Amino acid sequence: MNTKWILLSGLAASVMAFDYPGTALAADWKPTRPIEIVAPAGPGGGWDLLARTVQQALTQEKLVGQPVLVTNKPGGGGSAGWTYLKGKAGQGEFLAANSPLILQNNILGSSQLTYKDFFMLANLMTEWEVVAVKADAPWKGGKDFFAEMKKDPTKMNIGVGPALGNDDHIQFLTLTKAYGADPKAVKFVVYPNTAAEQIPALLGGHIQAITISMAETLEQVKAGKVRLLGVSSAERIPEIKDVATWKEQGVDFVFPHWRGVMAAPGLSAEQQKFWSDTMDKMVKTETWKKALKNLNWEAFYQPTKEYTEFLAKQDILMRESLKEVGLIK
Amino acid sequence: MDDVFHNLLLGLSVSASATNLMWVFIGGLLGTIIGMLPGLGPATGVAILIPITYGMNPATALITMCAVYYGAMFGGSRASIMINTPGDASAIVSCFDGYPMAKSGRAGTALATSAIASFIGGIIGMAFLIFLTEPVAAAALEFGPAEKFSLMLFALTATITLSEGSIIKGFLAMGLGFMLATIGIDGQSGAIRFTMGIIDLQDGIDFLVVMIGLYAVTEVFKNYKAINVVFDVDHRMIGRVWMSGAEFKQTLLPMLRSSPLGFVVGVLPGAGGTIATFLSYAVEKSISKKPERFGKGAIEGLAAPEAANNACSCGALVPLLTLGIPGSGTTAVMLGALMMLGVRPGPVLFQQHPEIAWGVIASMLVGNVMLLLINLPLAVPLVRLLKIPPRIMLPLILGMGYMGTYFLNYSAFDFTLVSLFALAGYIMSMLSIPVPPLVLALILGGMTEQAYRNALTISNGTLAIFYEKPISLAFLILAAVSLAYGLLRHRKLTQK
Repeated sequence: MNTKWILLSGLAASVMAFDYPGTALAADWKPTRPIEIVAPAGPGGGWDLLARTVQQALTQEKLVGQPVLVTNKPGGGGSAGWTYLKGKAGQGEFLAANSPLILQNNILGSSQLTYKDFFMLANLMTEWEVVAVKADAPWKGGKDFFAEMKKDPTKMNIGVGPALGNDDHIQFLTLTKAYGADPKAVKFVVYPNTAAEQIPALLGGHIQAITISMAETLEQVKAGKVRLLGVSSAERIPEIKDVATWKEQGVDFVFPHWRGVMAAPGLSAEQQKFWSDTMDKMVKTETWKKALKNLNWEAFYQPTKEYTEFLAKQDILMRESLKEVGLIK
Repeated sequence: MDDVFHNLLLGLSVSASATNLMWVFIGGLLGTIIGMLPGLGPATGVAILIPITYGMNPATALITMCAVYYGAMFGGSRASIMINTPGDASAIVSCFDGYPMAKSGRAGTALATSAIASFIGGIIGMAFLIFLTEPVAAAALEFGPAEKFSLMLFALTATITLSEGSIIKGFLAMGLGFMLATIGIDGQSGAIRFTMGIIDLQDGIDFLVVMIGLYAVTEVFKNYKAINVVFDVDHRMIGRVWMSGAEFKQTLLPMLRSSPLGFVVGVLPGAGGTIATFLSYAVEKSISKKPERFGKGAIEGLAAPEAANNACSCGALVPLLTLGIPGSGTTAVMLGALMMLGVRPGPVLFQQHPEIAWGVIASMLVGNVMLLLINLPLAVPLVRLLKIPPRIMLPLILGMGYMGTYFLNYSAFDFTLVSLFALAGYIMSMLSIPVPPLVLALILGGMTEQAYRNALTISNGTLAIFYEKPISLAFLILAAVSLAYGLLRHRKLTQK
């Protein structure tokens, strides 16, 4: 560190101390520019919603003392936005939303990026996966449904979106195998527009089942148009308390569809501490809790250390199940 | 029926509050301006608005977002008409006759026509939304991958056979469009196709980049030779921002035909404004007694797609309100924003929150009137753009084109693409190869391919699924008829 830098940082610290008398120690770091949260997809999807929910909580609870912006950087199944974040190394004003795709892109070979390239700030929420059929379909649970899969897979079309290799796909493959049917014989119908196409296709009888996040089906369940065969959570979910978990149905499979936030690599210890403390505070605020409830998201808070260990385990699990169906070698 | 009117009155009482009226106005104006800028569409407009909606009650939030959506639909074609630069995919068709109209000094009429047609399309779409939501939503469920593929095939053949000049060149352009559409990662197999190792191509080529290149930048190239020429336009004609009685009569039937068409296409999952506008244009041209006027400033060629587009945006709300699933990119953003406010649109919305559902529907009626009132006076300063000499106007268009490109993905690589496509557009215009089939094939290419594969997955590989399903068969027959019609017309033209 050269003299000029020490002088500058000393100056900055004294300015800060002046701005926030009594609260700031000289070693503290605070963002000095507007915060940018990157949603690595277009507006409207899960990342976008998470980024905007974090934005809302940070702003309304006045946690960062700077304006918070959300920018949409779609491309490469998240890679474009994440590459942008990687380029901000050492700068503490940049966050990005992420999800299991950061593992899957790497596993499937479409991106070189891994979670190890970033400061994995916090895992924040999760949704759970379900398999849904039409309400008038004959199947009541995993057992009879997958028995039919085993008998004649050519009659069963399974809707998945937006592309193979994601959590929805992995859930169905794992279940197929657990129930003793052949994962390679499953006919997946791929819908790039996800629920917007999958649900009409299911209701119109074009496909027999969809593998999807629970929240996407909730309105149809309430309206009595769709039945859920099982859910990937550990405990039953209050909104759908009649639906048994896969675990209850005898399959040892608990599978969260989580989303979290990460920061640029190369942050100083002070910067890391600022953000870890901020996230700790944020998940306890009323604004955050209310937003989760409104969105039907379950809290799934894991601070950096726990989050990183969790990712390492998920990475192994996904590699195994995709290898089994030959999607990777 | 009494119920409907009772509910509509409830809705009107919600939407007519001073706050809501103010937000309809602000949203409508904002949307119009956003729609005018190339590259910025309604989805971006609504997303920008989300932070503002945090403090609102859900009804006001949804009303404001709908106003932006509508405003962008109204504004999207301004740039198409004035500078041949569509702001959005659904505004491409408005270039075909809107720009020739503006060039021949009828810009005021073109802008008025577009606003009035949008208004009529919106009102008819609303009426459909109020009275026919249930049956149309139920019928749309019949629409599976086979039907979707056949519909797109029809939209494509109709566009080729109706575009100017040689039919072979039309096919050539479509082929190019399809080839470009295959670039990128394939969602079904995960294969990376034709990217030549360039990472920026992994997501495929954004059709908006191609559009800006082929339309806006090419237009600058074409006009470069005339850069010092002062346009001799009739200034009295420019000032007239209205339609004459005869013009209204000429466009009334096309607007009435296109609106239901647009609405139905809007309801179908994943079809959208592009198909609606292209199809309505094709229909009008093929039933016109003087099809040769199309593409040279035919007023009904502008009115029909404008009406179809706005009716289509009403149709896109049907899946949102009845199934709780978004029918378009914009409605997906609206859904997200509403969920953050604790409201989930869907089958039970009308029972649980009638004041929201009907407030929104009524506010659209109010919003359409307001947008007409915003857009007609706005046309007066817009037409003055034509008085700007080309040596100032052309650099401006060039700047806007490149700026719009950058806003799409914040990618400098897109500058290379936009320049390449501008060059391609110039060459295509010299060889008189039509551009619309290329753009349409690029937009629909990926969807067509996936629909084809999904249909074959479901049928276990037999092609029978395409002709055994009646709706699909009907579209295939229409595609064949339009092809035969195009060939006949072409033969007649060449024999002359």
